[in-house]
Amino acid sequence: MTVYQCEDSMESVFTAVYRAYEEKRPPEEVSLSMTDEPMLFAEFIPVEPDRERTRKVVSTLWRNFGEDDYLKICMALAAPDPEKGQAVYRTIVHGLRDKCRQGHLFDDLKDDYVRKTFELARGVLREYDHQRGFLRFKEVELIQDCRNVAEDPGGELWGEFSLCADAGASREAGARSVLYARIGPKNHLLTFLMPHFADRFPGENFIIYDESRKIIGIHPAEGREEEKGETSGTGKGEGIRKEQCERKGGSFRGSSGDAAGEQKPMTWYLASCGDGFTALDGLRSSGRELAYQELFTYFCLKIAIRERRNLELQRNMLPLRFREYMTEFQKNMKQ
Amino acid sequence: MGALTVGQGMTLMEKLGILADAAKYDVACTSSGVDRRGNGHSSGNCVACGICHSFSADGRCISLLKILLTNECIYDCKYCINRCSNDVPRAAFTPDEICTLTMEFYRRNYIEGLFLSSGIVQSPTFTMELICRTLWLLRSRYRFNGYIHVKAIPGADPELIRQTGFLADRMSVNLELPTAEGLKSLAPNKHRRNILTPMRQIQNGIHANRNELALYRSAPRFVSGGQSTQMIIGATGESDYQILEVAQSLYRKFELKRVFYSAFVRVNEDRALPALPGGPPLLREHRLYQADWLLRFYGFQAEELLSESRPFFNVLLDPKEDWAVRHLEFFPVEINRASYEQLLRVPGVGVKSAKRIVAARRNGNLNFEQLKKLGVVMKRALYFITCGGRMMYRTKLEEDYIVRNLTCERNRIQFGSEGMTYRQMSLFDDGRFQRQVTPQEKLQVAVGQI
Repeated sequence: MTVYQCEDSMESVFTAVYRAYEEKRPPEEVSLSMTDEPMLFAEFIPVEPDRERTRKVVSTLWRNFGEDDYLKICMALAAPDPEKGQAVYRTIVHGLRDKCRQGHLFDDLKDDYVRKTFELARGVLREYDHQRGFLRFKEVELIQDCRNVAEDPGGELWGEFSLCADAGASREAGARSVLYARIGPKNHLLTFLMPHFADRFPGENFIIYDESRKIIGIHPAEGREEEKGETSGTGKGEGIRKEQCERKGGSFRGSSGDAAGEQKPMTWYLASCGDGFTALDGLRSSGRELAYQELFTYFCLKIAIRERRNLELQRNMLPLRFREYMTEFQKNMKQ
Repeated sequence: MGALTVGQGMTLMEKLGILADAAKYDVACTSSGVDRRGNGHSSGNCVACGICHSFSADGRCISLLKILLTNECIYDCKYCINRCSNDVPRAAFTPDEICTLTMEFYRRNYIEGLFLSSGIVQSPTFTMELICRTLWLLRSRYRFNGYIHVKAIPGADPELIRQTGFLADRMSVNLELPTAEGLKSLAPNKHRRNILTPMRQIQNGIHANRNELALYRSAPRFVSGGQSTQMIIGATGESDYQILEVAQSLYRKFELKRVFYSAFVRVNEDRALPALPGGPPLLREHRLYQADWLLRFYGFQAEELLSESRPFFNVLLDPKEDWAVRHLEFFPVEINRASYEQLLRVPGVGVKSAKRIVAARRNGNLNFEQLKKLGVVMKRALYFITCGGRMMYRTKLEEDYIVRNLTCERNRIQFGSEGMTYRQMSLFDDGRFQRQVTPQEKLQVAVGQI
């Protein structure tokens, strides 16, 4: 038995898949582990994520199984399950061996691994659908002293945003502000949420902070490519490590760009931040923000039909764990 | 063109309160089947499956900023809170207020788009023009690219409806009541012909637009999300059968995307309205939606589900179970052989699980365990299916037996209290007997100690 030890990332799993094929090991003898759990009589091989190998695996998956099934595999890998690596590996093996046509990778749900991957992907997709709707932005002020708050490690980040706020101000009358959202999903959704919102709000500066993973997604408003090119390379803040996410973004929705080069590159970044990350704590809502929060809360109250009141149904459709982050369910609001 | 003068001195908050309150009985959904990617400069895109952004205390989804332009109305429909004879606070939004609200809510991800309806001010044409102007402002000046659902006002100038259609994703004309007689008794100002005319116009517009789009890819899209309508359930004496027949003909003849059913809520005191001591007929609405799904996705016909002699849905069984127990000649269905259409008719098997079954059985026979994992609801399906020629348990293919088993766990007391019991009576079958029976007590009964 050979055990490839991967980190919890798509790149790492795909590299391990590549190596398992490269070393021509029989699939039944291979296991992908994401934990340090020891196994008797097994050869352990730690896997270093490798960009080139990942790219090759991605293009193979895309070519053989089509975009939808490839996305499903990506989604399965966003789940917090420690066995997802193994499930995905065996799903890929199953698909390649049976020569599944595009869009038919998940046909054989009798297979335990295929079903496992399918179920993981479905769970992630479900939460993604929820989160896409339940995420709430609030407009925050970019104030000068925010950058000085306790020499925060995100200082550089704010520098970038104040730049784009300036650019926005000069472009249009009325300064553009920054939208900020806090989420705490079970799965690693940020890589899926960012393209959705980047497509939806091309003209907005927004950041989404994933509390449970300490990751921020950053989207600067369109129209300032020059500055972005400069800042994305540096990333010298202590708590913040900028990942090269044009690639990440590209490998999901955009990466048909491999074949059709005309697609615009994704314009968002992911940054992982350390434990002492406090840059987002001192955010102050902009002046009109509170007014709109109140308006929406009032709207939600008014739109309910008293005669049909059904809190259980509401709870089924909108689980309580999302409400902590939602404007209309905050305690200080009138509801 | 004069502006509206109602509710001038009100704050935005007060107006929103009044006009959201007035719009809440309209039903809408963003799952229009339209995927529209962002265009890179203006705000907004559309997602085919729709996105629910919140859920209100009645459990209905909040996906659109659902408001009326104004609740001022010249009509006097008896069921409507905004009828002209009611003394309710009146308000009106200015187009700019609607646009600002929509944009600000949208960029905070509160909503998926705008749902705009209106009371009739001055005349239908005047109202339609106000709506059209608002949408134009929102699309061009505020550069909103998200979802817009708008009401077409019956009796308005067709040209205005056409113009509006190019700005909106979905249009709807409310049928309100399924029959012309119902409409006559409750909505004296509305006429069935007036309602169906714009519906037909939009349908023709969509057809013409489809041809244009085939020729010129970038031609403007006309009502890309199709049209929908809404019927009030329980305000007049129509049967479920009549309602379903109407819905079916709307789907066939007018190619509607959705027919919404809205349980009647008695908001006005009026002699012509039914009293509903048990609250709005929610179960009836639910059954109609279930049947609606059977019509659209499961290949059922209205005549199969109901008939003149059985004009109402079963309270205890859903329409598909009800159909299945009355047509046991089609069952049991062999999962590994049956066609997709046959599978769809099995209670407990939905569109998704039927597709999965068809895909999965290519690689070998399925068994019950796997079927459960594919998402089939076994507690409903097990009476109607075989896997490899075997039923899951020893069950009888009898109507009474199946009905008893399908209903007993759900609603024991209610089932027994109607006096139609199919079970062997036991000592604990008293409706007043609320407590759970302990195993010890059962033992005592068995050995005759109680």
